[in-house]
Amino acid sequence: MQLTSKFLLRSIILTFVFFTMISCYSVRIVSTKGSPMPPLEMEGDDWYRDKMVVEIDTVLKAGTLTDDVIFRVLRDGCETGKLFSVEYKNTFSGSMKYIFSFGSKRKVKLKYVCMKPSN
Amino acid sequence: MATTTIFEKQEWDTLHKNGPFPLKRMYVTRLEGRASIPSSTDRYNDAAVEIQRIIKDCADQNEGFRAYGSRWSMSSIAHQKDNVHQNNLMNLDLNIFPQDLHALSSYNAGNLFFFECGNTIKEISQKLEEHGKSLKTTGASNGQTIAGCISTGVHGSALNVGSVQDYIVGLNIITGPSPADNVYLERHTKPGLTNAFAEKINAKVIRNDELFNAALVGLGSFGFIHGIVLEAEDLYLLKRYVRKINKNLAMKLSNTMDFKNSEFKIAGETDSQGNPLTPYHFKVFINPYTDDSEYVVEAMYKKPYQLPYPDPFTTIEKSIYKDLIYLLISISEKFPNSIPWFIKRLEKSVLPNVNEETIGTLYETFWDAAYQGPAFAMSIGVDHSDSEKALNILTKMTKKDGPIPGIFAMRFVKQSEATLAFTKFPITCMIEIDGIIWSGSNKLISMEEYSTRMLEVLKNNNIPFTIHWGKISDWAFPDLATHMFGNKVEQWKALRGSLLSKKMQQVFSNKFLDTLKLSDIQEDSDPDLIASLL
Repeated sequence: MQLTSKFLLRSIILTFVFFTMISCYSVRIVSTKGSPMPPLEMEGDDWYRDKMVVEIDTVLKAGTLTDDVIFRVLRDGCETGKLFSVEYKNTFSGSMKYIFSFGSKRKVKLKYVCMKPSN
Repeated sequence: MATTTIFEKQEWDTLHKNGPFPLKRMYVTRLEGRASIPSSTDRYNDAAVEIQRIIKDCADQNEGFRAYGSRWSMSSIAHQKDNVHQNNLMNLDLNIFPQDLHALSSYNAGNLFFFECGNTIKEISQKLEEHGKSLKTTGASNGQTIAGCISTGVHGSALNVGSVQDYIVGLNIITGPSPADNVYLERHTKPGLTNAFAEKINAKVIRNDELFNAALVGLGSFGFIHGIVLEAEDLYLLKRYVRKINKNLAMKLSNTMDFKNSEFKIAGETDSQGNPLTPYHFKVFINPYTDDSEYVVEAMYKKPYQLPYPDPFTTIEKSIYKDLIYLLISISEKFPNSIPWFIKRLEKSVLPNVNEETIGTLYETFWDAAYQGPAFAMSIGVDHSDSEKALNILTKMTKKDGPIPGIFAMRFVKQSEATLAFTKFPITCMIEIDGIIWSGSNKLISMEEYSTRMLEVLKNNNIPFTIHWGKISDWAFPDLATHMFGNKVEQWKALRGSLLSKKMQQVFSNKFLDTLKLSDIQEDSDPDLIASLL
């Protein structure tokens, strides 16, 4: 009986971890023209290692009537104001937050890289 | 005025994490805005003054100084323990007009372009495309800066073109802190621009083949390359084919480069007699751990630029989980025998798809290579007639002393005139091994041991070789530079010692040069060596 409960608990945890992992994914759109702004320091260990990346990781409080949300590309980290790439990441916790708040809390995870100035 | 930000540092690393290396300071220079200095030439000259100010600071402190662009080199060639300068924001281009052409120049003014050091291959290609022009060749990707490319000998596999440095017409080099330490070099047998143009960038003209060829692949040690003049050509398309062909045929083509009389025939790529054409580019991929009777090869043929053509970019690109790769490497370090199995499984991700056909410009064909985690690349140059023999020796050694987590390829490059170009053979076959950085264990040969073994087996088998300056190798291998380049080493050092003062020879040296015994101070400079001969 005890063995069955342990097995059940493990299965639930494993299933939860599995769904957490598979429900976390990112999609990136990249320009085929222009060059990305290089970073001052190469610190990352991913696609952004040789790019100056701006990250937005926030939870928006939206009204029930709010449809779309606009983020403006600010000068800080993006002097050209032109985008080279944008990545949107969907996470399990973000999806849960949206569902259980009936859309009033929206998790936003964005990364963008701007174009290098051409001088 | 151009502004430089100084970062106090402890260490510095390459893009592919081949370090870290110790460092005191990193400089990043940004040009003055166009609103303050509208003229590009004035902004260029303003940047030169700023670079000379930094060089003076370094020299005053008896410290070294070295410029780098995109950190793509995996060797320590771009590193200097005291001061490094990131120049990838110095990306101006200056107009060249027909009146700027030297009276004895054989170049078409419309094909000559002046770029500042920090322009990447990608930026240059895009700027050239606006003029209906293209580079003649690039490396396999486009992120390197132009100064970095030529200093390290970046190459593709353009059989009749050569490497990036081989279409350079002029070099503007800052050789020291004084206003007079600014030279514009060209070949005296192939002049490009007028003295008046050089005066516009405050540079003294030296037209001298030997000096130009030595400075061309200068390993970052001939001064600060501030700008270059390159010869472009009309925009063209590359039709790319991937095929699996008989191993013996691939080797015969590599050894002879005789495509015309070969059985390697692609429909539509034949002459009027039906004989196969020599491709613009040829590359052979080899998995050293399989005994396949066929190799994957990639061939490209040059076509006139004409619209429309299908978009060569694939809409969707997927990448493997990096963590999975790291896991495979960890397993490999404990169980080396699993490496061939892993490589076979990853073949689909590493090798191009067989029977793939695309068409696009050079820029579109050799596009972005995204960072995919710590990587190693070793690259050995041999005469193409030795390619099969060298490949067999290296793969045999890899199987015996390895395995290692890498895959082989061969590319072929026309001879360069640069004194220390590793593409020194009439046609150089670059045998490359690309893979993921690994650590040695009591069961697995280390990367350092493996790179030494590569040189040992080639030397023991009397195969003359060179090494790509920007790749990983055992740079401390005894008398390596002399073994590769013979008396050209002394010639290169003498020319460097004549162009640079003793102080500047020290400033523009680094450990990489010391290891190769290329940095010893030349006490007696010979002004005749750097005389302008035209």
